[in-house]
Amino acid sequence: MAIAKAERLMNLALCLMNTRRPLSKKELRESVEAYREAWQNGSEDAFNRMFERDKDDLRELGLVIDVDENSLDGELGYLARADRNRLPEIALDAEEAAALTLVARVWQQAKMSGAASGALQKLRAAGVPFAEAGTYSALEPRIPAREAAFEPLLTAARDRRPVTFEYRKAGAAAAEQRAVEPWALECWRGHWYLAGWDRDRQDARVFRLSRITGKVRSRSGAFTGAVPEHVDVRAYVATFAGEGATATATVRLRRGAGFPLRTKALETRRVDETWDELEIPYGYGLGAHLAEFGPDLVVLGPDDLRADVIDRLRAVAGLEATAAVTLTGAATEGAQA
Amino acid sequence: MSNAIDQTRRMLSLVTYLRERPGAEVAEVARAFGITERELIGDLNVLPMCGTSFRGGDLLDIDTDGDRIWWHNVDDVAQPLRLAADEATALLVAARAVAGLPGLRERDREALTRAVAKIENAAGDSAEGSARVGVTFEAESHVFADIDRALSEGRRLWLRYYSHGRGGMTEREVDPIRLVTEGHTYLEAWCRVSEDRRMFRLDRVAEIKVLDTPSDPPRLEPRDLSGGLVNPSADDPEVVVEVGPGGRWVAEYYTHDSAQELPDGGLRITLRSADPSGLRPLALRLGRDGRIVSPPELAEQAAAAALEALAGYPEGRA
Repeated sequence: MAIAKAERLMNLALCLMNTRRPLSKKELRESVEAYREAWQNGSEDAFNRMFERDKDDLRELGLVIDVDENSLDGELGYLARADRNRLPEIALDAEEAAALTLVARVWQQAKMSGAASGALQKLRAAGVPFAEAGTYSALEPRIPAREAAFEPLLTAARDRRPVTFEYRKAGAAAAEQRAVEPWALECWRGHWYLAGWDRDRQDARVFRLSRITGKVRSRSGAFTGAVPEHVDVRAYVATFAGEGATATATVRLRRGAGFPLRTKALETRRVDETWDELEIPYGYGLGAHLAEFGPDLVVLGPDDLRADVIDRLRAVAGLEATAAVTLTGAATEGAQA
Repeated sequence: MSNAIDQTRRMLSLVTYLRERPGAEVAEVARAFGITERELIGDLNVLPMCGTSFRGGDLLDIDTDGDRIWWHNVDDVAQPLRLAADEATALLVAARAVAGLPGLRERDREALTRAVAKIENAAGDSAEGSARVGVTFEAESHVFADIDRALSEGRRLWLRYYSHGRGGMTEREVDPIRLVTEGHTYLEAWCRVSEDRRMFRLDRVAEIKVLDTPSDPPRLEPRDLSGGLVNPSADDPEVVVEVGPGGRWVAEYYTHDSAQELPDGGLRITLRSADPSGLRPLALRLGRDGRIVSPPELAEQAAAAALEALAGYPEGRA
């Protein structure tokens, strides 16, 4: 029976951590049973591939593996030096440790959740006094990452590797290929966005991960430009959710209806028994949002917003578009929940 | 194979942990590592096969009687290991997001902020990548304190709540179960009106009162939220929406059973809803970007509502 991968990785790690001098590949092959098996039953090649993969996996787990080119007579030597792999002293008091346990189950994505528990396990092993159960607010913050592109983009941003992917812009009929140097990932209102340098457009761009179709492929070579110190993905994305508006609109709203609009209103005037008049911020996607309120709302101005809402309502009512209305569905992705 | 990675990671910490605790109890160690006893026993079966040289017999002599764990040849292989870049990123990003959570108790926020600084320090280079990932939770704190109090004191809540589907306010008494934040913050509660478990979005709570009545939600299995917070049940009526390219966002925002590509670049989306008429706002919003295929009553309701709304616009009528 083949030896399980975890056992093999563990053995390699222990060998590399427990040596004072660099070990050659041959020595490691003699010391780790799984390698010996692979070499005997397979080939030199099979063993080499396995060894390379395992080293990469251990590095992903945080092990610093030094490669020594000199001491072993032309052969490469490997070791994980204790001083480079030790966690520095970390003195968390009970309160700080308890607060961290709030964080343990936040990630809803397998790799990040594994990494977060791995970090807490290391801290626990290092003596951080985590209590058995917290006395916390019954609050469960969750960071979702259901988008398939999340993991490859996170790794690419970490390693500063350019990527290509098929991307379907909002409202576009087809996806197109984009070549991007990924800078930063941001989660807002439960959705992930990528900011990066678009190589073809020669400009910074923000992408919504759910609109990436197909695989994220990493490309060889380095970034062509510097990564900005601070990337404000959030401000950019918020604009397209209708936030940060500078214009205002006036609507008539049935009394008692449209609570979300009322909380945003800059001014509310009572018109009569049935209607109020509201002054609201007019940002991207407002027309689509206002159409949701149906007969509870009438847009008084500005004219383009009024025309947009009329056009939407006519479409739903099964009426032809009016000639005057030439707006297309640009505003379709507002702050919908 | 990510399981092997997680298991290796865990075993590396496990040896460090066991080193300091001769005779550690299986149950306690499993709890400390957030795994089942079965998983721990699995690890303990692997560890004696590990060591620096299988030929020299230099293996970890760790054994268990199923109750306690003994390590007979403790050596100094087991130093606490530095955090990997992904570990530091996962922990720091989550910790910063939680520390910024509106409504978090101030003491917790301060403790978490201090912990973040210490971890950044201990992680060194590994912490760098965490600056490239950000998570923001929405600020919806005006009712948070009352809910938190109701939860900790075990009391019922009265809510005036905006129902998005019906477009109006509802008043109800609920027994709070937990608060869940994913983008927005939601209160999961047992609704005494519908006699059912419901999710209430905090920014739609117009008014709240903590009642003197003790909260008494039925004992329920925690709901599995892995597919999203809004998880329609399989018996809920089916709704079919066809959208053009401009309406593809529907598939991003609504949990759905299927989304089938259409030749024009649009989608045919099949979803479920306990109350399809609650999707009227969606039907109205779609405009020319899509239409409700079924149930037909929903399409009719939306069309009627649109016609009625058009009455408010002299220039918009037929």
